[in-house]
Amino acid sequence: MGYKVLVVDDEDEVRSLLDDLLNREGYLSKACATGEAAIELLKKDKFDVVLLDIKLCGTSGLEVLKNIREHHKEIPVVMITGFGYDEDLIAKSKQLGCCGYIGKNMPVSQILSTFKHLVKKAKEKEHHAK
Amino acid sequence: MSTAIKENTDMLHKLLDNSGVIVFYLDRKRNILLCNKKAREITGLNDEDVVGKNWLEVLFRDKGSRIKKDMLKAVMDESMKLKREKDFEGVILDKYGNERLISWNLSPVQNEGDQAEGNILIGQDITEAREKTCPSKNIDKTFKEILAGIKEYALYLTNPDGFITYFGMGSEAMLGWSKWDIIFKHAGILHYPGPSGTGLEPILENVRRLGKHETETQLVTKTGEAIPVILTVNRFFDSGGNPSGYIFIAKDITERKKLEYQAFQTEKLAALGQLSAGIAHEINNPLLVISGRAELLKDEKDEQKLKDGLNLIDTQAQRIRRLVDGILKFSRKTAPVFKELDVNEVIELVLPLVCCNVLPGAEIEIKKDFMKNMPLIKGDLYQLQEVFLNLLINAYQSMPEGGTVTISTGNSDDLYAQVRISDTGTGIPAHHLKNIFMPFFSTKNNGTGLGLSISHNIIKSHNGSIEVESGVGKGSTFTVKLPFIQKEVTGGL
Repeated sequence: MGYKVLVVDDEDEVRSLLDDLLNREGYLSKACATGEAAIELLKKDKFDVVLLDIKLCGTSGLEVLKNIREHHKEIPVVMITGFGYDEDLIAKSKQLGCCGYIGKNMPVSQILSTFKHLVKKAKEKEHHAK
Repeated sequence: MSTAIKENTDMLHKLLDNSGVIVFYLDRKRNILLCNKKAREITGLNDEDVVGKNWLEVLFRDKGSRIKKDMLKAVMDESMKLKREKDFEGVILDKYGNERLISWNLSPVQNEGDQAEGNILIGQDITEAREKTCPSKNIDKTFKEILAGIKEYALYLTNPDGFITYFGMGSEAMLGWSKWDIIFKHAGILHYPGPSGTGLEPILENVRRLGKHETETQLVTKTGEAIPVILTVNRFFDSGGNPSGYIFIAKDITERKKLEYQAFQTEKLAALGQLSAGIAHEINNPLLVISGRAELLKDEKDEQKLKDGLNLIDTQAQRIRRLVDGILKFSRKTAPVFKELDVNEVIELVLPLVCCNVLPGAEIEIKKDFMKNMPLIKGDLYQLQEVFLNLLINAYQSMPEGGTVTISTGNSDDLYAQVRISDTGTGIPAHHLKNIFMPFFSTKNNGTGLGLSISHNIIKSHNGSIEVESGVGKGSTFTVKLPFIQKEVTGGL
């Protein structure tokens, strides 16, 4: 696998957990706490996928998503949120171009399998496009 | 009967009938053996209606006299037991149904073997004498009649020192004291400084300063029960313009309070409903950490890492527990309890509930400008939390695109704790401003229209005020003022 994932979450415990979980699953994960930091990291480094929390301090997750779509069209973004299954948020995120949506209220195994599935689908799509 | 004995008996009867006092001779069981003319006159009963009957049943015919009877029975039993005289006062109804205040003297009678045989009860009608010494005699008769006619309000007068000089029928009904029991007592017994009452002196001080005092407070009944009332106190003056005392008018608002309390509960739950998304967010984050860490620890061999992981899980569980406790405390049905509170702390307790409710995409900054060492106020924590929560929810909802909420606290004229909550939201149109504190008025699709109206009532019942300044596009500022606890003024130069 070995995809490079950028994890963006403002809560320390959640961020380090997602980081640990993804590393265990074989991803190469890097984590940051703010939207601003994420935008900077994306400028400097190349990532295969971004796992982005919706509610962030400072620039919100949706703003960051907008920015990524403008400047890094090719990188798939998976949104994650503690708000659970919120139709409005899902609609807004999809409209802004995310490739999937994960609720933090889902069981951990399901979070990981959903993420894996979304990344796989995005990469296949990318492959077809090429 | 010999002539001599008959003459003696006749003389004794004449003596008793002309003595001007009420006389009853009772047997051990308190049945009347003999009574004099005055006793028959005052009760309106003949010898045959009285003799052989129980004294208590004859004099206390009205239903409400059970307590009086029990008390008097105890007095008589004690007097017989200790073979000692007893003096006491009591109110009876005369033949016209009027209350008469009688001063009684009870003497036990022993037979030759020193055994208790009965009682002699001598009573003196002191109704008029007592009324003469009562300062309310100075009150104009018509005025007194008007006062007597007011039954829905507790109405009582005191002299300039606060001693009760008049106690109307409405007061008797509401507060359980009979006027005979309370006249000349200090009105402080109706106003003790309980948890939500103010005590009498601050009220009188206010009247002396401002001429009038109107407040929502509690009065205390004879049995110690607190009754919520709206109390108005004025001074009154004699014909020479000298202050004669104070007039107290209290309206019982128990029913209104009950309804307000129900509405308050409903609105509290509605407010919580509006916060549910934010609360779910605050629970889902630590839940994820707990289950995720547990998942990772399943394969962990390193003991230190295991320990650290378990500690982290524990911390996150505590975070959820704290939040759930907060929600439960907030939604619990609690009767208002007035305590000393720091307004800053009340707001700090509400902020975690509202801060997690920021809608994604609407970045809201909270600026706090709290006055340090704020003097304390007296209030109900949960009611005031409800007020600030409502104001903050409104502020948040007025900024769907994000903005700034500024919460500042301060001291207003050394009298009030002032809390200002400003937002940079949409603002309220001028034609809505006059209605926003009205019940069921709402400009929101999902609003109950009760939030601000209940907040207004809560602040009013804390003797405070709530005001709003707003303009479309300019945001809104709500200002709440709550009175500081006034320090006792200590004497000395």
